[in-house]
Amino acid sequence: MFNSFIISFKLRNTYRVNSIIYSIKQLPLIKKILQNSLYKNKGLKILGNVISILIEIGNIFLGKFIYILAMIVGLLGIAKTSKPDTFVHIFTFLTMIGALLNTYMFNPSKDKYYAMVLMKMDAKKYTLSNYYYIMLKLLIGFLPFTLMFGITSGLSPLICFIMPIFVITLKTLFNTYLLLDYKKTGKARNENLPTKILWSLVGIFLIAGYGMPILGIAINQTIFLIIFLITTIIGIFGFKYIINFNEYKRMYKALLTQSNVYIMQTQRNSQILQDTSLKQIELDNKDTSNKNGFSYFHDIFVKRHKKILTKSAKKTATITLFIFIAFIAIIQLYPEIKTKTNDFTLKYLPYFVFIMYIINRGTVVTQAMFMNCDHSMLTYRFYKTPKVILSLFKERLKTLIKINLFPAIVIAIGLPLILYLTGGTDNPINYAILFTSIIAMSIFFSVHYLVLYYLLQPYNINIEMKSSTYTVAQTITYFVCYAMLQIKMPTYIFGISTIIFSFIYCIISLILVYKYASKTFKLRI
Amino acid sequence: MKLIVKNIKKNFDKKEVLKNLNFTFEQGKIYGLLGRNGAGKTTFFNCLNEDLKIDDGEFYIEDKENKQRKLKAENIGYVLSTPNVPEFLTGREFLKFFIDINKDKIKNKKSIDEYFEFMKIEKEDRDKLLRDYSHGMKNKMQMLVNIIADPNILLLDEPLTSFDVVVAEEMKQMLKNIKKDHIIIFSTHIMELALDLCDEIVILNNGLLEEIDKNNLNNSEIKNKIIKALKEETNV
Repeated sequence: MFNSFIISFKLRNTYRVNSIIYSIKQLPLIKKILQNSLYKNKGLKILGNVISILIEIGNIFLGKFIYILAMIVGLLGIAKTSKPDTFVHIFTFLTMIGALLNTYMFNPSKDKYYAMVLMKMDAKKYTLSNYYYIMLKLLIGFLPFTLMFGITSGLSPLICFIMPIFVITLKTLFNTYLLLDYKKTGKARNENLPTKILWSLVGIFLIAGYGMPILGIAINQTIFLIIFLITTIIGIFGFKYIINFNEYKRMYKALLTQSNVYIMQTQRNSQILQDTSLKQIELDNKDTSNKNGFSYFHDIFVKRHKKILTKSAKKTATITLFIFIAFIAIIQLYPEIKTKTNDFTLKYLPYFVFIMYIINRGTVVTQAMFMNCDHSMLTYRFYKTPKVILSLFKERLKTLIKINLFPAIVIAIGLPLILYLTGGTDNPINYAILFTSIIAMSIFFSVHYLVLYYLLQPYNINIEMKSSTYTVAQTITYFVCYAMLQIKMPTYIFGISTIIFSFIYCIISLILVYKYASKTFKLRI
Repeated sequence: MKLIVKNIKKNFDKKEVLKNLNFTFEQGKIYGLLGRNGAGKTTFFNCLNEDLKIDDGEFYIEDKENKQRKLKAENIGYVLSTPNVPEFLTGREFLKFFIDINKDKIKNKKSIDEYFEFMKIEKEDRDKLLRDYSHGMKNKMQMLVNIIADPNILLLDEPLTSFDVVVAEEMKQMLKNIKKDHIIIFSTHIMELALDLCDEIVILNNGLLEEIDKNNLNNSEIKNKIIKALKEETNV
């Protein structure tokens, strides 16, 4: 059995190292330097192995550290119950949720598919040896942090010590249940597709886990100890059942179907992406167009995608409007917050970069453009001529700007209005700056997304991502916008800078599109 | 009219996919392009369609007066094995749009319904979303659009595999009907299809193009010759 484990571990490590090398290869610039023979390169393999080990260690410890810190310790303050009781209470319920959603055994993962289906390894040996390994990882990973956080929260060391054992006991119990269920029904549950009942249980446990302590109810350490003893005794029987279970091979044959398995995920993801996109098309016979040529083509595209284009933008605009109305009502009811609000509108305009980023429909719209239109049209030669690309770009830019302006206008009017209602400003030009800078941000994001798409279109005909530059650019956009949340600057200065920046950015990027889009806007090969 | 391919080279990393392609394709003929998996048939098509930049060499059209000119976008029609059509349009809308933007180039323009008739697309399907067309019907639409534009050169990448036998036969007949005004290059794995439909058999193997001389040979002799050629060249 140990041999099985070593083989499966090596196998998992090999493809993990290869995927690391693959990811390195996908980075812009680097991919031009590196070649395919790279997978044989020793130095790089070593680097891959080091990263792989770091991932495994991170996997063992870091995840547990963050989990206990964020899900338990960080939230102890919200409860009325004592710290140790709350800790043990939340831990118990979260562990129950974890047992339901994360069984390991019933996760149709890529490594299982490789080992048991492709390499025809002995299913029982493979499953059991890896199951022990996973349980050991849980035990080692949890122990330092249950001890560290538990003791500092006032739990007894004994309780802290048995907590990790409780985790594996519950997992063992639920796995036993699923094996029994398989034996009875012949159906192997896929843990990635939880049933409605399972979701409801998760919901109940979640509410019980956090809700009860807020109301002042929590189990204490003694009750936890009793629960632990009972589950452990049953767990021992469960464990015996898992060891003696003899139908792993048949069960995994049912579970590791192609549609379930991770190995197909890239393909499946693009398929799902495409299917979802295609579902967004709505055929309403009234939606025709009197236009001609590309305007006709684009007009119908917009009409058939109302749901994700205009309707959705109008919805955001309506919600924004309600938020403003509610806020204005609050200001009237509680005049004491006026000064703070006034201060906010005059100093925190950078916040709105992030808000405008969030409500911008650029990503969704360009994705639909690709999936439902360009993906197929770019295979036609006439569609790739510079004249056609640019005329369609113009139509699209107009539409995208228009769509994003719906919510933008609400904000652009709402902000100066709030400024006015909370006491106004010494410098009336601030009203104009608030209005114009919000509109400028909205136009900026519309241009930004469409230009990125036209200059960096990353997909090939099979909807596989062939360039990571686009993702990198999008990530940078996110971080820059997020970083704006940290900035505090007078609206006067930030607003004017935003307007100037947006203007220059739009001009430059439009020039780039006019110059390069005919070369860059194509399917990757 | 001729399509002349001269010394075309294309590498991926260090792999030479197209080593040195030389060939003259003539109007009025259907060329069957045969090659083993990964031989570079699609790469060759992608180069001709300028989806891929060639590393070296050139290709151009030589007209009846022996005048040479570069290929323009409208000279080439490329039908892929997987049909790609704008799924948000109906069949009729797609044709209307296509005819609209190509109206100056289309000779003998017909009505939309006449085109549907030509491609044998049923009345009840014409106003359905292309999303809801079957694979074969999408393929028909793709083929139709490429034929309406009337390009001089038609590149067909395994186009008949998704059709049922009846439609495949119709398509074969249609290609035979239009070949006198076109250069048709037809890539396929199916030797019987190539022998049945194509006037010339061209082999792409080991990065080179070679014509198989069919003269005075029966089908089975040609097949043996093709297989032999493919095997021999791989071993070079």
